[in-house]
Amino acid sequence: MNTMARSQASMGGKEGVLSPPVIDYWLMGAALILLMFGLVMVASSSMYAGERIAGSPFFFVIRHTIALCIGLAGAMVLFRVPVSSWEKAGPVLVFVGLVMLVLVLIPNIGKEANHARRWIPLGVFNLQSSEFVKLFMVIYIAGYLVRRQNEVTSSLWGFAKPMILVLLTSLLIMLEPDFGTTVVLFATVLGMLFLGGVVLWQFTILLTSSALAGGALIYFSDYRWRRITAFINPWDDQRDSDYQLVQALIAFGRGEVTGVGLGNGIQKQFYLPEAHTDFIMAVIGEEFGLIGTLAVIFLFAFITWRAFQIGTRAMARERRFSAYVAYGFGIWIGLQSFINIGVNVGLLPTKGLTLPFISYGGNSIIVTCLVIAVLLRIDHELRIQSDGVKSGGRSWSRV
Amino acid sequence: MSGSKKKRGHAEKIKVPSYKARRLFLLAVLAFAFGSLIWRSVDRQVFETAFLQQQGEKRYLKPMKVRASRGMITDRNGEPLAISTPVKSIFANPRKLKADSKTIGAIASILDLNPDRVRRLLASDRGFVYLKRRVNPDVAQQVKALDLEGIGLESEHRRFYPSGEVMAHMVGLTGIDDQGLEGMELAYNEWLSGVNGAKRVIMDGRRRVIKEVENIQSPRSGNDLVLSLDRRLQFLAYRELKKAVKTHRAVSGSAVILDAKSGEVLAMVNRPAYNPNGRRSNRRGSFRNRAVTDVFEPGSTVKPFVVAAALEQGRFKPDTPIDVTPGLLRVGRHLVKDSHNYGRIDVATVLSKSSNVGASKIALALKPEILWKLYSRIGFGRSAESMFPGESSGRLPHFSDWSQFEQATLSFGYGLSVTPLQLAGAYAVLANDGVKLPVSLLKVSELSKGERVVRRSTARSVVHMLEAVVAKGGTAPLAAIPGYRVAGKTGTAKKSVAGGYAEDKYLSLFVGMAPASDPRLVMAVMINEPRGKDYYGGKVAAPVFAKVMSGALRLLNIPPDAPLVVTPLLAGSEGRH
Repeated sequence: MNTMARSQASMGGKEGVLSPPVIDYWLMGAALILLMFGLVMVASSSMYAGERIAGSPFFFVIRHTIALCIGLAGAMVLFRVPVSSWEKAGPVLVFVGLVMLVLVLIPNIGKEANHARRWIPLGVFNLQSSEFVKLFMVIYIAGYLVRRQNEVTSSLWGFAKPMILVLLTSLLIMLEPDFGTTVVLFATVLGMLFLGGVVLWQFTILLTSSALAGGALIYFSDYRWRRITAFINPWDDQRDSDYQLVQALIAFGRGEVTGVGLGNGIQKQFYLPEAHTDFIMAVIGEEFGLIGTLAVIFLFAFITWRAFQIGTRAMARERRFSAYVAYGFGIWIGLQSFINIGVNVGLLPTKGLTLPFISYGGNSIIVTCLVIAVLLRIDHELRIQSDGVKSGGRSWSRV
Repeated sequence: MSGSKKKRGHAEKIKVPSYKARRLFLLAVLAFAFGSLIWRSVDRQVFETAFLQQQGEKRYLKPMKVRASRGMITDRNGEPLAISTPVKSIFANPRKLKADSKTIGAIASILDLNPDRVRRLLASDRGFVYLKRRVNPDVAQQVKALDLEGIGLESEHRRFYPSGEVMAHMVGLTGIDDQGLEGMELAYNEWLSGVNGAKRVIMDGRRRVIKEVENIQSPRSGNDLVLSLDRRLQFLAYRELKKAVKTHRAVSGSAVILDAKSGEVLAMVNRPAYNPNGRRSNRRGSFRNRAVTDVFEPGSTVKPFVVAAALEQGRFKPDTPIDVTPGLLRVGRHLVKDSHNYGRIDVATVLSKSSNVGASKIALALKPEILWKLYSRIGFGRSAESMFPGESSGRLPHFSDWSQFEQATLSFGYGLSVTPLQLAGAYAVLANDGVKLPVSLLKVSELSKGERVVRRSTARSVVHMLEAVVAKGGTAPLAAIPGYRVAGKTGTAKKSVAGGYAEDKYLSLFVGMAPASDPRLVMAVMINEPRGKDYYGGKVAAPVFAKVMSGALRLLNIPPDAPLVVTPLLAGSEGRH
């Protein structure tokens, strides 16, 4: 790393024009590829639904494009915000997030769709509280881990406090209900606490009990339990609960290795109920085949790994807040994409969760853009301070 | 990982571990997760493709019926009489269609149905109901524009009859499933029916066809059917018959035109009729093709055949004198009456004056078997074998059962029953020089040799005698056609009712042919129960014959024969009176 930075710096010195990269182009590139590919796939998969629901095949494409523009603009703004500001804002943000979660549940404020109350209507835009809460929670927990390092690693209380907050948040999200988001949020925080050094036996107990709680939630909820049984044998009762899964699997089967070609999919034509949102991966699998599926899986794995790498580098520089945020984002993106794709290929029981970067959904797109912006900022701060004295002056002036 | 040593150093300094092991553990878990995704994807997209595609095909590949179109029915000149036009049928899946009252109202108003009926249809728990069948394409388009899940369109054909009621009885009609119900549509249903094909299509999740994948079986269109009818003659005959039935306030009427040289039916019309394109009702038996299905006692129209039998036998000649005074004849306990006392007349005058006594005397002079044979061979009591559905054979009692009086009444047309088609067919034997040709409702391409019933000279002689009927002094001068020699015979039959014959219910008949020098067309006209002041065949039926026949002769470009031969003969007969 050092040698590379040095050589680039010296190159920059030689040429006088070239400067060392201050941005992780690899991460940015991977994210942009997924975002653009997502736009294409939303276009391909939402035409029929758009025509049906809103009378225009471009209904969803236009909205998705607008969200993408907002997300990219927001990312550019957030890239300018120093990591230290996030650290300070953590408690405020998490408080705002909780208020948003409460607001969503108030009947006259929260907007209901598909039997779930998840959105706050803001005129032209429907704000999905839980998407932003994930972002705020990661930032808060990262700050907490830094502030209460000793408490966390030694006492039960230090571990329990953030858990209470997360349980409360999870409860609010479950009230919407949004099981998928709850799982992602809860698991992300657990992962961060694990990396933050909580006592292992406490962690193990919590993990076990929360797994049991999750199991109970599934077992005692009729529709979730049906999804589990349907997942175990999807070809049994092929009409209701497993309808989506069966249609998704058929889509993958049809795609084979090379796919049927962009736009040629059949399954999106009213067979897959959520073709442009939760089951967009099936459309990718059908139209681009195994090649497309593996490319997407690889890109998500790469982004996850890259986030961890940034975290590791931050940890090495004693930028512990940055490190925890990067880990948190890594776990989040990795977990959410794993669950979504896992559901699509029939590895996991069906639950509603968007595929980051790709699925249609303004909130999801905007929040993922912001996540990438913060990651890039963390990386950026690591780069410009990598050789401290040597290139510091020049780089600082850039920001 | 070049910086790992350095990292560890930092961590030790401030006593906060970096938990590298935990990080690696978590990364390993994530790696395992992504690995399992790859494993599952490869499974689905490489190893399970056959099964999954088969499952998919089960859902989106559907066989679909391709309706074959029914053959066209045309007249002898290729004019369309029944054609199939493509239409759409609207069906619904009540299980899928979530219709509120507004939607139901919209459907009902587009399809012109009662909303309650639509509601009832959609309340059923079946997966398929027809909302309305055979609507015009523009109506179907409006329904499609509603874009409702659970409503679909099906391509079908609707039968259209350009000639309407004029051809209704002959052509018949088809039911909702494109199967013949009446007339030639029924008689030749199999010939006309196509064989539906099938194709495999890909349907989207809302059961709409995305594309056609393969053709399982091509539909085979039905065959066309060429009738013997001439549309122009049919129109002419229908118009005049309708007028006559209306003028004389008759219950019903029929007319048949035969081509004497081929046995083809050129026209066959009835009143009452119905409109096969509109709302169909069988009110007053309007569906019946009475010319084929209804029988009646033919009255005096059978007299020429008594004379023909007598001429064949050799004991009678046209000028053989017969004494019919005093216009009464006692046969056993019964009396045969004439309307006037004609005195001593010849055989020809028996026909021209239509003397019952004369006909009875001739008949009684013959062996029953001879008369029966002739009647039978010209087609009485035997099916005309036109293949028309519901065709009636009429009735001719066997000679072994005849009493003397029966033999007498059979000579003036009581005690047997015939259809108008049989009657026309019998006259066609005379017109065709004594050779009976099979009657045909289809255009004949190869002429049948037929079956000789009477000698050529007998037939010629009878036809010649029948010309006097139309002349002045005969019973049907109104049947005369300027420019043509016409031969024919009237009939006015009392209708039989329960317990005998009604005094005030008549059948008015006229059967004739033209041109008499070489008859080409034979026409029978039957008016059932005229309720005006006229009821004689010569007054009621003969004018219909004259109008239709004169038009038909011209339409068929048959050259006139009257100026050359008939005038002196007419003068002669005039002179005799």
